[in-house]
Amino acid sequence: MIGTIKGGSGARKQPASIGGSLLTLATYLIAFAFFFPIFWTVLAGFKTELDAGASPPVFFFHPTLDNYHSALFDTGYTDFFKNSAWLAIGSTLLAFLLGVPAAYSLAIYRTKRVKGTLSWVLSTKMMPVVGVIVPIFVIYRQIGLLDSRLGMIFLYAAMNMPLVIWMMHSFFAEIPRAIIEAAEVDGAGVLTILARVVLPVSGPGLASTGLICLIFSWNEFFLVYMLTAGNAGTLPLYLVRFMSSHGQSLASMSAASTIAIAPVFVAGWAAQRSLVRGLTMGAVK
Amino acid sequence: MSIGVAGAQAAGRAEGVRPSRFRPPPIRLLLLLPALLYMGLLTQAPFIVTLWYSIHKWILDRPDFGKPLVGLDNFTYTVTQDTVFRDAVLTTVEITASIIAVCLVLGLSFALLLNRPFRGRGVVRALMISPFFVMPTVNAIVWKNLLLDPSGGFVNWLLTSLHISAVDWLTQYPKLSVVAIASWQWTPFMMLILLAGLQGVPDEVREAAKLDGASGVGEFLYITLPLLARYIELCLLLGTIYVLNLFGEIRVATEGGPGTQTTTLPYYVYQTIHDYNDVGSSAALGVLMVIFASIIAAGLLRLLTRTFSGDE
Repeated sequence: MIGTIKGGSGARKQPASIGGSLLTLATYLIAFAFFFPIFWTVLAGFKTELDAGASPPVFFFHPTLDNYHSALFDTGYTDFFKNSAWLAIGSTLLAFLLGVPAAYSLAIYRTKRVKGTLSWVLSTKMMPVVGVIVPIFVIYRQIGLLDSRLGMIFLYAAMNMPLVIWMMHSFFAEIPRAIIEAAEVDGAGVLTILARVVLPVSGPGLASTGLICLIFSWNEFFLVYMLTAGNAGTLPLYLVRFMSSHGQSLASMSAASTIAIAPVFVAGWAAQRSLVRGLTMGAVK
Repeated sequence: MSIGVAGAQAAGRAEGVRPSRFRPPPIRLLLLLPALLYMGLLTQAPFIVTLWYSIHKWILDRPDFGKPLVGLDNFTYTVTQDTVFRDAVLTTVEITASIIAVCLVLGLSFALLLNRPFRGRGVVRALMISPFFVMPTVNAIVWKNLLLDPSGGFVNWLLTSLHISAVDWLTQYPKLSVVAIASWQWTPFMMLILLAGLQGVPDEVREAAKLDGASGVGEFLYITLPLLARYIELCLLLGTIYVLNLFGEIRVATEGGPGTQTTTLPYYVYQTIHDYNDVGSSAALGVLMVIFASIIAAGLLRLLTRTFSGDE
């Protein structure tokens, strides 16, 4: 209904005027200018160091794959890349394992406490991380979790859990109650209903929530910088170290940066449709 | 359920009193509690420990000092005598407010540009979202080395091509540079929220305004903007929560300098624990940061509800 109304008026508003075309042209230019830093970085990865450092900047050059090749096959880089993958996937799974049942409980059992619980969950997200970093640092040092993948997975899972609970709660709340009630009548238990009825119809919600968790873990820097070194360090840490040691090698730095951000672009563009929902914890649909 | 009753009875028999007290928690709580306990353990418990540390003098590489209880000394020193702290509070407010303002203006402009039909809108949208996906460290590395570098940076090449003298951005205008770097990252965030808001404005409303003779500007000011209020509010709140914790950009681009010009509160906490190993002071700073963030969040919430609900 709403769709048809929108479609109709949209068709009437086709930009035929010169003003409209100019505005579209301006939009293209602005979009390109805004995207330019990324474009320039990807491009610099294909240059020789000489071209990358050249002033004035070089726009036309013989592209080389050397930088991308050496970044991908440098053991230091691949170790950090693996850590990034480990932490992102491990923490997302843990956040789901605990967060999805919690979200389900909050969506299904509509007691008076639901609202308060959800606000408390959100408030943990508002807690500035510097308010908890000192004890985590000291305790991790004592129990040997400093610079360990497991220790970081624990923290990233806690960082993403509010997002999982809020977002999945908003998805679960949309599932028609009748489906769940029908399964209940058939005698299915709560966990069976969650596993067999609710999760199968929540595919898109789970996927976009997962992608956003992966993005946040992959890009996180403060915790990894404070708590890890060589063992559990992720790509952001590698790149910061690389910059301080090879600050002049702009081409290799650009190639390493490009490879580091590439997975997030894939995940982000895939999650584009529900990105707003995730970033606003389900407040905007 | 049958297991529950049996369990309660067994427990009741063992204790010999009031069996009804040992009912196992309902499934509702069994599903919910693990997550809540986990979050409590990893976010609330450490904060209580932070409070505990903050009333001690404890320097990690000086075990000979011990960990004496010093009461509120860390706080009184920080608040009354530490000029770096005072500057850090001001810098945090200044940088955060500027970033939020820039992101809001740019985000709204981009959202308005995207909220009209034109060819290639999907691609343009994807390009405009992209900076948000770039990890903060790469963002800062790229801006520092490829764009803002005083000799080979692209921005200075543009300026000199226009016969404007080159600028050493990160040294001469460190705050402006940090604001530019972070705004580039967070503009897409606000753009997405505002675009969702714009798409919720019914076309009929706008067309009715046009029929009533509203100009483009009038329509925007009196129709679109009020309908967007809730989304702008969301941008302000969430944006502030995220941007207050800005760290990677500052660590990479300016390291809090030159001097302490871009030392924000999170960065100062990092320095006290990382460079000076001072657990007591950094814990006190952490507590102050939490208070600071809570005041801003609470103030913002009150301001927003008052402004947008219209009863002044």
